[in-house]
Amino acid sequence: MDISSVQKLCIHLISSAVQRCRLSEGLCRLSVVLKSSPPIIRVSISDTGTGSCLEEFQDLKCNREGIGTEKWDGLLSIKTTSISDNKIYHYHLNLRGSVSARRLTRLPSIPKNDAKFSGTEVCLSISETIDALLKDIKHYFQKMLILKIPSVAAELVIERGDASGLRCENVFLPNESSPLNFSSSNVERLKSGLEEYVLKHRNSLNNKCDSCFCSREKLKISSGVASSMESHRSPGLIVEAVIAISELSESLCFRSSGNKTEVLHFKDFSPSSVSIASLNALTSIDWRSYGLTLVSAVDQVDHALIEWESLPPYLHIDMVIHCYHKQYPGKYKYQPDRHLIKKGVKLALDDLKEKHTGLLLSAHAVKICSYAPDLASSIAGIILSSNDLKFRSKCSTLLELSQSQAIGKQTVEDRIKEKIISVIETNDRKPEKIKEAAPFLFEDDRPQDLDPADLYLEEHAGGDNVFSFPD
Amino acid sequence: MDDLSKSDMKFFSDQQHCFADILLPHEVQARIQVVVLNFLKILSSPDPAISDLPLINRKSSNSRVSEGILTDVSWIFLSHSFCSRSLMKANATKAFIRVWKVMEMCFEILIQDKRVTQRELFYKLLCDSPHYFSSQLQVNRTIQDVVALLRCSRYSLGIMASRKGLVAGRILLQEPNQEAVDCSACGSSGYAISGDLNLLESLSTKTDARYIVVVEKHAIFQRLAEDNVFNQIPSILLTAKGYPDIATRFLLHRMSRAFPDLPILALVDWNPARLAILSTYKFGSIGMGLEAYRYACNVKWLGLRGDDLQLIPQQSLAPLKPRDLQIARSLISSTILRDNYRQELAVMMQSGQGAEIEALYFNGYDYLVKYLAKKIVQANYI
Repeated sequence: MDISSVQKLCIHLISSAVQRCRLSEGLCRLSVVLKSSPPIIRVSISDTGTGSCLEEFQDLKCNREGIGTEKWDGLLSIKTTSISDNKIYHYHLNLRGSVSARRLTRLPSIPKNDAKFSGTEVCLSISETIDALLKDIKHYFQKMLILKIPSVAAELVIERGDASGLRCENVFLPNESSPLNFSSSNVERLKSGLEEYVLKHRNSLNNKCDSCFCSREKLKISSGVASSMESHRSPGLIVEAVIAISELSESLCFRSSGNKTEVLHFKDFSPSSVSIASLNALTSIDWRSYGLTLVSAVDQVDHALIEWESLPPYLHIDMVIHCYHKQYPGKYKYQPDRHLIKKGVKLALDDLKEKHTGLLLSAHAVKICSYAPDLASSIAGIILSSNDLKFRSKCSTLLELSQSQAIGKQTVEDRIKEKIISVIETNDRKPEKIKEAAPFLFEDDRPQDLDPADLYLEEHAGGDNVFSFPD
Repeated sequence: MDDLSKSDMKFFSDQQHCFADILLPHEVQARIQVVVLNFLKILSSPDPAISDLPLINRKSSNSRVSEGILTDVSWIFLSHSFCSRSLMKANATKAFIRVWKVMEMCFEILIQDKRVTQRELFYKLLCDSPHYFSSQLQVNRTIQDVVALLRCSRYSLGIMASRKGLVAGRILLQEPNQEAVDCSACGSSGYAISGDLNLLESLSTKTDARYIVVVEKHAIFQRLAEDNVFNQIPSILLTAKGYPDIATRFLLHRMSRAFPDLPILALVDWNPARLAILSTYKFGSIGMGLEAYRYACNVKWLGLRGDDLQLIPQQSLAPLKPRDLQIARSLISSTILRDNYRQELAVMMQSGQGAEIEALYFNGYDYLVKYLAKKIVQANYI
């Protein structure tokens, strides 16, 4: 794969290390050490995951247009060992070497003396400002926290080789207080990760913002998983989508980003760019049935940006999509599947609607709900004008109101309105095909045929049938 | 065999007959209460839903003809086809709620033992729910929806018919505990027919007339009343000033029952639209099909008819409007008209021209009376 900048190179190496850690059983440590003696930074990425194979590194291509020779000389120093090996292999790889045979230099192996461990260390020297590099690495780690890969503890150590000799450490661990354990599924972790991400105002804070998210209700989160079958032609793919909706009454902390949603993408447990398939999937979803109108979905390199036509001012939507192979490493090239992505996102949306009444109501349902108060008012009016006590008491029973005489019109009206809205919301969650015709109002009227009432337009025309003038 | 099955239909047509009952206020209240209870039951059931309102279809597809077997009177009635109004259908939500609002208002009116006119009801609804009601026509249609839902007559809902019709001539009408009114002495304006059907029911009637003449146009009615035509030809004059309202038809029907020997003769323009008016007196209507059938009368067509055209000058004939022709086509295709009516219609359609009764004045201002007298004496009516 092509590397176009030192930052990308470092991120790629760190990402490979993460994958190696993920694949090994048991806890792993990942260390990124940056020793800065300006203008050179010595980068060392070491992990205790499974041993690496050389192909990983040899596949890296770095052309002249990408990283200039003044930034990096093309040399990687690799030490690696697997659990079953009895020595640590040491290589120097020159990626700028023209002839493949000359590129690899084997150095003497280091004996392990029967100790059982595995791991890899990759070192390189680059000429870059430490801050630029640091920013990207930190950003990467923060994104990785969303995945909440359980078995990896990562640390970033910076040693500034200037006069102050400062050494600082940042540790990136999945949050200790989360309810996850090793047996949680990937999607549960993703959910938890996104939740924390949103609670920290998209990682702009170090801790959960308690003033904005003072109650559990403020953040509603759901997930959907879609998977495809494995076959010899295509790999088994899994798409996990997690959606978080936050309802903040006032944006106390900062101005909310309005009608936009960043859709974070991960591919095979690593932050990824946005694929065309993903954009297509997002634009082809029928958002109207969730009460949303999509204006545009654009690729913003590390996330997709969705713009909505209008959201209630306090509502914010966050989304993350993770596509990965069922088996890693995949034998096949990764082909993001538009249908699978669409299915995953829809499942997440439906899950959200199912768990939270009144959320993501389709535009149609919202419109009908707006009529509920008037309907409730008419029915309540009839009940309260009646002087038939048996009738009134039957109605009170049906509405689960107390039988006392002092029930006011507002109480009755509110109860009826609640019930009507609840039916509309429940109906809204059902897919179109399952919606049944409403039950008949009078039991003994079994009609021979039932047409929906046309809007009297043809009768008003009058021309068709002379006998149809109303008085 | 065909005829036999048709006559079977005649005998059992009652089973298909859907009609609106004439009920007392407490009975209508009870029906409304049943609607509310059923709605709430379904709303509160373990599998809650918002039920649709089933209304009897008031369309020609649901209309049937009852041909008089023992009497001369045929009428149109409605059968059991339903349409429904639903809350959930995007553009029909307001219509659904309108039915409830009218039902609520009628319920209140009945509780207070009042009666209102359609106009008054419109203004009340306009003030109460301006978002739902924008025109009288809409209110009238919603009222018909409520009639179709509850299957009770409009009058039972507490809504009075309009006060349109007039009576003049040789008839004495007496409201209970009131003085009798001699309609021949009412002048050209005649006696105004009340919209209150109960009141009309309670009128006592006495006549020495030999004919009842239904006049479509107010102007002609006035002319005839002014000329005291009923003293020359002993008759009762009746008009609804155009399309007949229920109250006028009600009174005409009462008179036809009270005085069965009096032939009822209609005087209308030579025009399909006016023939349609005559047909409404005769057969009823689909729009109010649940009630109108009750007041069908054996009305005979006196004039203007095809052979009267020779009495009027050519230049008084005017071309029929497209709407008139549409009505003609619709009438001709209806099974209820007899052949002689159909033939007249065919002539109208073929010539494409119509004529007004006033054209007879060409022959002099008193010609109308002479024309009437001659036709009556000759029994020249169909």
